[in-house]
Amino acid sequence: MRLWERWTAIFLIFFGTAAAALAYRMGFGDLHHPGPGFFPFWLSAILAFLSFIYLFANLRAAAPGKSLWGKGDWVRPCLAALGMFGYTLLMGELGFFSSSFCLFLFWLILIEREKWKTIGLVSLLGTFCFYLVFGFFLKVPLPKGILF
Amino acid sequence: MPLDYFSGLLTGFSLALTPYNLLFGFIGALLGTAVGVLPGLGPAATISLLLPLSYALGNPITSIIMLAGIYYGAMYGGSTTSILLNIPGEAASVVTCLDGYQMAKKGRAGAALGMAAIGSFIAGTIGVIGLTFVAPPLSAFALKFGPPEYFSLTILGLMLATYLSGKSILRGMIMAVLGLLLATVGMDPVTGNTRYTFGLLILEDGFDFLTLGMGLFGIGEIFCTLEGKLKAELVTTKITNLWPTLKDWAVSKWAVIRGSGIGFFVGLLPGGGAVIASLLAYAVEKRVSKEPQKFGQGALEGVAAPESANNAAASASFIPMLTLGIPGNPAIAMIFAALLIQGVTPGPLLLKEHPNLFWGVIASMYIGNVLLLVLNLPLVGLWVQMLKVPYSILAPVIVLICSIGVYSMKNDVSDVMMMVLFGVVGYFFRKLQFELGPLLLAFVLGRILERSLRQSLLISRGDVSIFFARPISAVFLAVVALMILASITMVLYKRLKAKPTPS
Repeated sequence: MRLWERWTAIFLIFFGTAAAALAYRMGFGDLHHPGPGFFPFWLSAILAFLSFIYLFANLRAAAPGKSLWGKGDWVRPCLAALGMFGYTLLMGELGFFSSSFCLFLFWLILIEREKWKTIGLVSLLGTFCFYLVFGFFLKVPLPKGILF
Repeated sequence: MPLDYFSGLLTGFSLALTPYNLLFGFIGALLGTAVGVLPGLGPAATISLLLPLSYALGNPITSIIMLAGIYYGAMYGGSTTSILLNIPGEAASVVTCLDGYQMAKKGRAGAALGMAAIGSFIAGTIGVIGLTFVAPPLSAFALKFGPPEYFSLTILGLMLATYLSGKSILRGMIMAVLGLLLATVGMDPVTGNTRYTFGLLILEDGFDFLTLGMGLFGIGEIFCTLEGKLKAELVTTKITNLWPTLKDWAVSKWAVIRGSGIGFFVGLLPGGGAVIASLLAYAVEKRVSKEPQKFGQGALEGVAAPESANNAAASASFIPMLTLGIPGNPAIAMIFAALLIQGVTPGPLLLKEHPNLFWGVIASMYIGNVLLLVLNLPLVGLWVQMLKVPYSILAPVIVLICSIGVYSMKNDVSDVMMMVLFGVVGYFFRKLQFELGPLLLAFVLGRILERSLRQSLLISRGDVSIFFARPISAVFLAVVALMILASITMVLYKRLKAKPTPS
């Protein structure tokens, strides 16, 4: 069993056990009158049980020590996730137009490393087109901010 | 009974052919194909991207007609990407790459695209004819179902979905249970108590289906694609001779018919869907072929069979959703959730309570098939141009579409944050080789399962034997038990076989 498989199984066992404990506290009820915690309790218990089987069924299986990511494979997805979280934070503060422009810039400069001409053109045109289609024509209530 | 079908279908056509519904069916098919053509976006992601548009329509009939168009369009669109880029536009088009791309390299891209479109049209129509005749009796049968039968049927549906969707049934089951657990977050429908909210206001209404779907399938797919550095070159930009020749017809007519049959029956099973149908149809075609060595080298049957199968399966997968209320695959689960939001509960009562919607959808599928054939062949040049847009530009565009879609539901930025979070979770699950389909299906079915379990226990005064004492429920559970036993036996057999024998 690969190391990451083992850690996933262990995490899921803990997750299931914790969720079962929380569900029990919500009110288990009885078979005749199941409480709000009844269904989640059994689900969590089953999750922990299945993860336990997953851990032990594969524990002795021989597996190559292959890593989850190849060299540097994680960088772009990680940058994208950070960019998106930043985008959601900025969206509330700066509004849709400015934050979307920033997202385009971030994406094309840091993740894709595009040429400056492409970066400028796509960021400006892209943001403007989105605002025009969704905000102006489709009247989607986009977050307001410093520009629009 | 056939007269009922006929009058129902006529009503359906009268609804689907109104200019308004026809327009949105057309828009759905056009958008579905356009997004489905883009590499890295399958039908589930396409529907999740375009779902907010259907909410804006308000009318459930127009809404589902549009969604069905999107679904069909996404299925069609995938074949174009497979043939011209050698990248499957969606999972069901993986095998189309094998022969489709080889044909394109030999200058026969037009014939491959044409046969994929025509085969899909024929298979889609056969699938809808099957849907017309199978769905009403199945609906009538399902009227006998009470809460215990629904509980067992939902378990069976989830089990089939986990059994057929991935390599490991255990991992599939873990995902399904996780999906059910996620569905319990928020307010308890019976007592009104909050569950797993940790005092956070955002969690009180539970997780939204759209946020979850877009996060897992839309954003999660972007992360995965970024990792792989998607680089593909169009094999050709000039597409000619789309209409198959007489020789092409002679070669592939049986492949289309066999593919349609296989696709329809596999599509009926929850979890079966288009992916397994296309793989099975390709394998069967290779087996029955007099020249199996041609497969993988550009055999037209290798395109016709899987493309027909995946479209027949797409039609057939509406049957369990419309008649039993059990969506069979993530894309259908999206349509199922969209209907729930519109106030329509798919299931055995759908035909009785909303006959117009039921027949309207079926009629729109006949029309949708024709629309797609009309769209695909003449507009192939446009799809080729779309494939030229680099992924570096497409990815932020997809992120913006997802963000606007999720934000527009409640005008709340925290939903967008939640979507990104689910995107990260989806990415990790993909990396860890956990299938996301069972999680999404289970999430959709979670409330139904809990409600039927609690109702059953109330009816039986806490006696769990109610699930085994009622014959239909007992049969469903027996099938579940058999599936678990079969998979355990298979695992043990494989292990025994793998053990080195002492020499």
